[in-house]
Amino acid sequence: MPLYILQRLGMMLLTLWAIVTLTFFLMHAVPGGPFVSERMLAPEIEAALNAKYGLDQPIWVQYLSYLRGIVTLDLGPSFKYPGVSINTMIADGLPVTLRTGLLAVIAVVALGVPLGIVAALNRNRWPDTTVMLIATIGVAIPSYVIATVTLYIFALRLGWVPTFGLDDWRGYILPVFALSGFWISFVARLTRSSLLETFEQDYMTTARAKGLRPGQVLFKHGLRNSLIPVITILGPVVANLITGSFVIEQIFALPGIGRQFVLSITNRDYTAIMGITIFYAAALMVMILIVDLLYAVLDPRIKLTEASA
Amino acid sequence: MTEPILSVRDLKTSFFTQRGEVQAVRGVSFDVYPGEILGIVGESGSGKSITCMSILRLLKPAGRIKSGSAIFDGQDLMTLSEADLSDVRGNRIGMIFQDPMTSLNPTLSVGEQVIETILRHRKATRAEARARAVELFELVRIPSAAERLKSYPHEFSGGMRQRVMIAIALACDPKLLIADEPTTALDVTIQRQILGLLRDLQQRLGMAVILITHDLGVIAEVTDRIVVMYGGLVMETGPVRDLFATPKHPYTRGLLASVPDLRDDTHRRLTPIPGSPPDMAHPPSGCPFTPRCPHAMRICATDLPPIFGIGQGARCWLHHPEAPPSLLPSREKVPEGRMRGPSP
Amino acid sequence: MSDIAPEMWDKLSPSDSAAVTSAPSLTYWQDARRRLFANKPAVVSIIFIVLLILAAIFGPLFSPFTYADQNLRLANIPPAFETYSVADGQGGTTRFFLNASNFNLYEVDAEGHVLGLLRGERKDMLKKSQAFIFGDTTITLDYSKLPARLLAEDGATISPSGWSWNRTYIFGTDQLGRDVLVRQLYGARISLTVAFVATLVNFFIGIFYGGIAGYIGGKTDAVMMRVVEIIATIPLTLYVVLLMVVFDSGLYSIIIAIGSVFWVDMARIVRGQILSLKSQDYVAAARTMGAGTGRILTRHLLPNSIGPIIVTLTMLIPSAIFIESFMSFIGLGVTPPLASWGTLTSDAVETMRAYPHQLFFPAAAISLTMFAFNFLGDGLRDALDPRFRR
Repeated sequence: MPLYILQRLGMMLLTLWAIVTLTFFLMHAVPGGPFVSERMLAPEIEAALNAKYGLDQPIWVQYLSYLRGIVTLDLGPSFKYPGVSINTMIADGLPVTLRTGLLAVIAVVALGVPLGIVAALNRNRWPDTTVMLIATIGVAIPSYVIATVTLYIFALRLGWVPTFGLDDWRGYILPVFALSGFWISFVARLTRSSLLETFEQDYMTTARAKGLRPGQVLFKHGLRNSLIPVITILGPVVANLITGSFVIEQIFALPGIGRQFVLSITNRDYTAIMGITIFYAAALMVMILIVDLLYAVLDPRIKLTEASA
Repeated sequence: MTEPILSVRDLKTSFFTQRGEVQAVRGVSFDVYPGEILGIVGESGSGKSITCMSILRLLKPAGRIKSGSAIFDGQDLMTLSEADLSDVRGNRIGMIFQDPMTSLNPTLSVGEQVIETILRHRKATRAEARARAVELFELVRIPSAAERLKSYPHEFSGGMRQRVMIAIALACDPKLLIADEPTTALDVTIQRQILGLLRDLQQRLGMAVILITHDLGVIAEVTDRIVVMYGGLVMETGPVRDLFATPKHPYTRGLLASVPDLRDDTHRRLTPIPGSPPDMAHPPSGCPFTPRCPHAMRICATDLPPIFGIGQGARCWLHHPEAPPSLLPSREKVPEGRMRGPSP
Repeated sequence: MSDIAPEMWDKLSPSDSAAVTSAPSLTYWQDARRRLFANKPAVVSIIFIVLLILAAIFGPLFSPFTYADQNLRLANIPPAFETYSVADGQGGTTRFFLNASNFNLYEVDAEGHVLGLLRGERKDMLKKSQAFIFGDTTITLDYSKLPARLLAEDGATISPSGWSWNRTYIFGTDQLGRDVLVRQLYGARISLTVAFVATLVNFFIGIFYGGIAGYIGGKTDAVMMRVVEIIATIPLTLYVVLLMVVFDSGLYSIIIAIGSVFWVDMARIVRGQILSLKSQDYVAAARTMGAGTGRILTRHLLPNSIGPIIVTLTMLIPSAIFIESFMSFIGLGVTPPLASWGTLTSDAVETMRAYPHQLFFPAAAISLTMFAFNFLGDGLRDALDPRFRR
């Protein structure tokens, strides 16, 4: 077990390094320097700025110093806002992103799984058809469409929830819904198909042949096994909730990391883009590791000794 | 004369698929007497497994029991409520399945899977149930039983898993054990062990056993009486010795001819039965074996024969009193002395 | 007892007994097609997609407008309006409608064609009103209290005389007075182009990568799959964003960005298929008969893994459409004045309060398209996946 975690951590660091490198060189492949694009600067000022940010150094020196920064958890300064570090930017946005993200994950599990169970238990009857119809709608409609349309209907027209801001708990409803709508639907569909597949398994017949009660058969034997694939996708779910939050935070004007990211893109704040990307990737990989460990606890067949199954 | 412990009458089961109704079981009747081992034999698709799944109503959603009764201990299992039936399952009737690799839940320890059965049917504390589980593991000869309770199915070999399945089936001292091809998925040497264990346990515990198999060797070795099934129907039934000595149905004869007999040193050639089993979505109106039968007559293609004969009965027009005797290769009379097993 | 005719005991000739009815057998593709066409949502989706493609290709040709034609005087016109008619006292009647959000009056004809902006007198900034003179009749637009109303000379409120669809701009116009319908159709062009080209790029990279990994196997496979694993851990949208930042927005950039990132799933599917098929007997048979690697790949392995590949492709299309519109929505997609469903939505958000129709059309267009491709993908999966064949 500890060996497995160590191996996974090693793999994670390798991946992270690949991401840092890729991101770094991608950002430095942008034609011109970061100060060229928008403002017309006097050459001497630009040179001074370049010197200040170390941009006059050869690229590998810059790369090494950036790596050094990463190791010491320092993502460097912003190009756009002098004196603001990327670390501060992230720290400022984190609470909002974390709160909405966590609520969205809870919504996904608390709504998606039960809906899937109801559908599977009533296969081809109206609860199933209804849930599947809603889920298909939910999977098809892009999150930004859900966000804008619900914002128009519930905030502008009906006035049930505030149009922006999180001062009120009701302010969370629409962003969390827009963020999780797709994944609630996806998890409902996955839970349904996984349960239906489990129902076909021989051990389910064994459980019935032992005379177990329907509830025992469903929850102890059926659900436990069919939730394994659902757990495994929770890693990617978190990833997508994160990327989905760019646009959701922008639409609802939430001061989170996603909005900061989009802002950095429009501002061409390269260190911020780079730093936030790396932060996202790192956060994501930690999430995937946690999910994998959880998975191993649920499924005894997974031995935590080899690197991958 | 003993009362049968299970009496199946005119059982009909169909599967409703996209291709239409597949009539898997088309009116099967047989009795199981206390303390005997009844073998049900047939090719795959003959309806033998479906028959047994129907008795405990364990069919998948597509399968439906259309008619028939199965009287067990005075109760008709076909009309029992689902709740009452679940009191019978695993308690008074145990069941073992073909593939021990998939029949155990991979995410629960084997001990838990035995213990939950005991707790479901007996008033026992967890500790008592655990003690009983250890006892059962010893009974089915799983070494270091107490420690193995904590293991998961994937940590066992196929033979060991089948022993666990047997332990589960025997957990509540059933009066009847239904074993659906319990050795088919196992290695030959393991097959022998499991079969020996079953026979041994049956004698020790005095329960009745229905043993479903397509392996005539298994049948010859352990069963008392045989039901031969083909095309969802019982083709021939009778005490095992009589059936082996003087098979009355051409299908039974064909089955026996297709099996190598190691005791026979006459270098007899194995003769497979030509052709393939009927399509049960469009069952023939006559005897389902007609297209493959070497003795087929006009009537065989049009009319389904009844079962002729008492004790050893065969569903074949050849045994009709008016049938031309010349067609029957060897219609020997079975000597009374060789009759075995209960007969009405 | 003798109710059985004697001839019934005659031996059956082998030819009689051999007459066994067999169900008509279908080939894989016939069966798949039958199952697909039995799936109503999938059929409706196919029809929708075909119509959408036709509309995207030919629709703009029939429009008098192009995606870039601006007419600021006719901005933010809705697709339907309530009309007023005013007699000028000289036998003429003017029909017009009121845009309650920008306080303009637009003249329309009886059929609902928009003729132009009506010029009023000077606005009275204090009383928040504006007079419009039609021959002898004067009408006052009073916007001191919302909603704005029209007053006759005696101060009575004039109520609309009817309503009409907009015949000039069927979907209305946007804030720069561009025709929403034609921009929608151009949006469809962009979305479908990106979707199909990016999916095709994915397809080739995925087939190539996955095919090689699966076919060679061993160490090569392990290394190649490790790379895929690393790529898969990165949130792909994030990388499309980064690539877009590097490339600068535009149609080609977004195709390259999506195409270069989303092949991972395809590579995995192809590899899995190849691996499982490789071990099958008929491939061994082909090899024994001296078939070369290329022949085995193209003749045996690919045709047999085509089912899951098609399903994966169909599922890639909606994700490509989504990513493109997503990128355009956050300002990284196509450059103005080009329209994409994403930019149309994002533009509409700014004016959502006053002109919800501008939001409705692109939102509905992308949602319906996503629906159609999802239903089609589901239908294809059910039709092609052998696990569902029974």
